[in-house]
Amino acid sequence: MHAFKFDPVTLPANAPAFRKEIREFLARELPHVPAERRTNCWAVFDAEFSRKLGARGWIGMVWPKRYGGHERAALERYVLLEELLAAGAPVGAHWIADRQSGPNLLRYGSEEQRQKYLPGMARGEILCCIGMSEPGAGSDLAAVRTRAEKLPDGRWRINGQKIWTSNAQHSQLMIALVRTGTLDEKNRHAGLSQFLLELRTPGIRIQPIVDLVGHPGFNEVFFDDVVVGPECLLGAAGEGWRQVTSELSLERSGPERYLSSFALFVELLRLAGRVDSEALRHAVGRLSAELWTLRQMSLSVAGQLAAGEDPMLAAAIVKDLGNTFEQSLPAIVQSLLGEDIRLEDDSDLARTLALLLQTSPSFSLRGGTREVMRGIVARGLGLR
Amino acid sequence: MSEQRQLLSDSAARLFESRDAVTWDDIDEIGIADVLVPEERGGSGADWDDACAVLQAAGHWQVPLPLAEAMIARKLLAEAELEMAPSRLSIAANTVGTLSGSGRACKFSGTLSSVPWGRDVAHVVTTLSFDGRTHVVVLAVADAIVHRRTNIADEPRDDLQFTDASAQAAAAISREAQHLFDYAALARIAQIAGALQSALERSIGYALERKQFGRPIGQFQAVQQQLALFGAEVAAATCASRSAAIAASAGEVSFEIAAAKLRANQAIGIATAIAHQVHGAIGFTREYALRRATQRLWSWRSEYGNDRYWSERLGRTVIEQGADRFWEHLVSG
Repeated sequence: MHAFKFDPVTLPANAPAFRKEIREFLARELPHVPAERRTNCWAVFDAEFSRKLGARGWIGMVWPKRYGGHERAALERYVLLEELLAAGAPVGAHWIADRQSGPNLLRYGSEEQRQKYLPGMARGEILCCIGMSEPGAGSDLAAVRTRAEKLPDGRWRINGQKIWTSNAQHSQLMIALVRTGTLDEKNRHAGLSQFLLELRTPGIRIQPIVDLVGHPGFNEVFFDDVVVGPECLLGAAGEGWRQVTSELSLERSGPERYLSSFALFVELLRLAGRVDSEALRHAVGRLSAELWTLRQMSLSVAGQLAAGEDPMLAAAIVKDLGNTFEQSLPAIVQSLLGEDIRLEDDSDLARTLALLLQTSPSFSLRGGTREVMRGIVARGLGLR
Repeated sequence: MSEQRQLLSDSAARLFESRDAVTWDDIDEIGIADVLVPEERGGSGADWDDACAVLQAAGHWQVPLPLAEAMIARKLLAEAELEMAPSRLSIAANTVGTLSGSGRACKFSGTLSSVPWGRDVAHVVTTLSFDGRTHVVVLAVADAIVHRRTNIADEPRDDLQFTDASAQAAAAISREAQHLFDYAALARIAQIAGALQSALERSIGYALERKQFGRPIGQFQAVQQQLALFGAEVAAATCASRSAAIAASAGEVSFEIAAAKLRANQAIGIATAIAHQVHGAIGFTREYALRRATQRLWSWRSEYGNDRYWSERLGRTVIEQGADRFWEHLVSG
């Protein structure tokens, strides 16, 4: 049997000093963020804050200096991410560029593409969105039907539609997975390619979708005869599946996959500090144990990434367990409230809880469903 | 993984795998009861990470001896410079009684509860408060009235009653001696991780073999999804065990032990349920080996602190730190 690898990690010696620096920066720049805005903060859009982080050198911090990066260690970036998430900083605007679009460009992009986009991403000015899901391609990503057709002059003409695209309305750039070859039902992963698309290109239309709490977070993106030059192809034509798989590894492996509800845990601790209750103490004990374990596992995944490995299995496990934790927390907190606290109260606790009760079911959908993660794990166990 | 850890863990696993029932002589032959004893006193001078690797293997192969307890007992005796007994030792982490007299020749009256293999060992090491300080105390089982009890995996958990019995005592020095119960829990967590892994391996093997509806049941998505969850829980318990062991090698570790025992206990519930569900009726036979892991796991969930005990302790600690200090403490290790 495959033994899942979760070797321990030692953080760089400067980690405590770096944490202090980050906390001082956050205390200065974000003196008061309401608790409900700290929840799920990597989906909270604040372009101005992202530019401040960029100016500080905290976007693309591991990228080469010649592309606007800062050549810091991967585990330093991990420290930054977990501090930002724990503080509930609004990092949604640049999150995709920093986490996957930039690294994807570094891995597969041409020199020209890197020069053109990476410095702006690192400044927090070029924001990115993900062009994977389509109406007929959710968990079954290889079913994408958006097509790029090569024109005689070498340019490409794109037709089709993406959906559930977070922040498309605020982004300049999308990395889209499209079909460039004919669909072969026996080898569905062949004939796919990635394109680097500027969203202001004529023929691209973005239409918001309002989510169940009334927030226009994601979009439909339509491509009608969008013509782009050969320089917009990312990597090699036909290599899209391999490229998107490595992008998904980056998408699934970070600490955001267990910290989305952390702000509610802090509110629970405040309640437990005011109200002497065995039920509260025991819940806090159990949840603390889970948080500590998840952090150790997440840290181990970060260590494997830093060592140049692809911890796909370990990342799938952390995402599955992390999402389960994030999702269990709202119901646990709801069950612990006394009669003096109502869900509709105007308090940090009630507002945070109300928001997470409604949004947390999405946590095990985005970035790959729980079922897909368990399928990956089952394969690792030798069952598929 | 350190070289020493790998070597210890490999040689222990080879031994445990090759024997139907591991004996004390086997243990002595490769010296694994002495891993925590300093080198200058004849041990391996290994740390908790190394020791827990051995204990994980012991849990995996369901070694029918109190190896974890013997390891701790020998470390305590060596540190206290008490006469080194042979390896047939256990510990008592629940002791009620009084010590009288002083120095090496004192008297003890009281009860040592739930002593693993109490009936079978020569000596038991425990800790007691005496003169306002914690003391390491060694007692001879021959001096006790033994009330035999077993846990649900048939492992002896005896109560030993002493009346004015001769004892050796010395002031406790190490964290292990000061907090015997906690470190016993740390050892048990490693055994839990090992037993969980063996139950997982057995369940996967069975799912690949057992056919229903014309194919191995492991080919059904419903079964695959459950086994994947099982795998994730085993990974969580193993990572928690390893992380706590590493923290124990570095210093103060009460938070980590509490968190790891709670997390391992949680994994036991999910994992044993899936293991038996996948196995169906055969898993409920006396003859089939799955029970050797699951019965131990159900017992060990209670031993050295159940959920109520650890969640009360950990919850209290965390709440007393204050809401705004939680993260700082979590990442300071």
